[in-house]
Amino acid sequence: MNKLQFPLIILLGILSFSACEKDDICIDADTPQLIIRFYNITDTTEFKDVQNLVVRGLLPSGSKDTIANIALDSIVIPLRTDASSTSFALTRQLSITDINVDTLVISYDIKEIFESRACGYIVNYDALEATVKPDDSVWIQETRITTSLIENTASAHVKILH
Amino acid sequence: MSRYCISLFFFLLYALGSAQSEPIDLNKKDTVAYKQPYGIRVGVDLSRVLVSFLEDNYTGLEFVGDYRLTNKLYLAGELGNEKKTIGVPLGNEINNPAGDLYSFTTSGSYIKLGIDYNTYGNWYGEQNMIYVGGRYAFSTFSQTLDNYKIFNTDRYWNPDDFAVGTTQNQEFSSLNASWLEFVVGIKAEILKNLYFSASARLAFYITNKQPENNAFRNLFIPGFNKVTDGSKFGVGYNYSISYLIPLYKKSNKPKEEPVEELLEEVQPNEEFEEGF
Repeated sequence: MNKLQFPLIILLGILSFSACEKDDICIDADTPQLIIRFYNITDTTEFKDVQNLVVRGLLPSGSKDTIANIALDSIVIPLRTDASSTSFALTRQLSITDINVDTLVISYDIKEIFESRACGYIVNYDALEATVKPDDSVWIQETRITTSLIENTASAHVKILH
Repeated sequence: MSRYCISLFFFLLYALGSAQSEPIDLNKKDTVAYKQPYGIRVGVDLSRVLVSFLEDNYTGLEFVGDYRLTNKLYLAGELGNEKKTIGVPLGNEINNPAGDLYSFTTSGSYIKLGIDYNTYGNWYGEQNMIYVGGRYAFSTFSQTLDNYKIFNTDRYWNPDDFAVGTTQNQEFSSLNASWLEFVVGIKAEILKNLYFSASARLAFYITNKQPENNAFRNLFIPGFNKVTDGSKFGVGYNYSISYLIPLYKKSNKPKEEPVEELLEEVQPNEEFEEGF
């Protein structure tokens, strides 16, 4: 019996610990969003609020709901993972009658990354480009890319000067 | 006639006397050697066959074999092939393939080679085993990403479900992994030369060639089973039935008993005799 104890204990050990594994809950990864900060065109280091800023996503079929945001000098907006460019309508309202809508087109390369068993795939955006569709009156004067690779939401990716 | 009988009686009396003159050896050595069968044992894993029948997303077959080297030591190995489709549910429809976050199919073969050491002391005529063993295993396989979605906590663009990934049905081929395996198990002879065996395995991978550029990960390796994030361990089991092809018989050499023990045994007897 003494000889049996050793393998039996190991067998019990393996069987009891075989069911122990990490929970498959995705908490450590997510597809990052685009961060835009608004700066003053006269002093490019100074933040500048956009009065009554309203941001909507644009699809070829029409515009979508307003993206909720609180701050007026920075916005966090989701990009489309199923297309290589996303369009947004950025509305600045100075007074009741003075409403200016600019269309911002963000284009990028999609990098699909397998993150973990629980999260599966996320997307990182590379080779970021931002352009403003020219129309009669544009309030966005310049766009600058500060980080062309969107891996996280730690800092701003695009500067908008107005 | 009576004379014949009388002479026969005297002759037999002499024979009896001569027989009695020799001392009776009570500690006669057993000269019948107990020979145990040695040979190759081959078999098949029943659990993999059974699961293949019961589950749609799995087909697998494993052959097992061992060769007896010494009284307790066996050269052992397994050869197998597995194909398994695994879906990871996280979406708007749980328990439905359409709701899977991603699903993939792993297909490949493996070989395991090593030793088994029998720790069980068999009674006369028994050929059972309770064994511990080690294996080195190697597997070549391919992973096919059947379909996948992009995990995104933001639901602005896709309110109902995750967006579908761009390249479905990607195949990542020529992948391989090697690992060390620790085995504990039992083998019981249920019929002459027919063995039923069960074993549990704890594996620790040494090499694991993943698909390049984080395009996918080896979440299942044939023979190793599930690969857990952040861990190198895997667990497995098998229930196999195997047949021993006896090649030759060999007796186990008796161990030479230590001299001291013999002396201790003899001394009390001498004292007893003197006292008597």
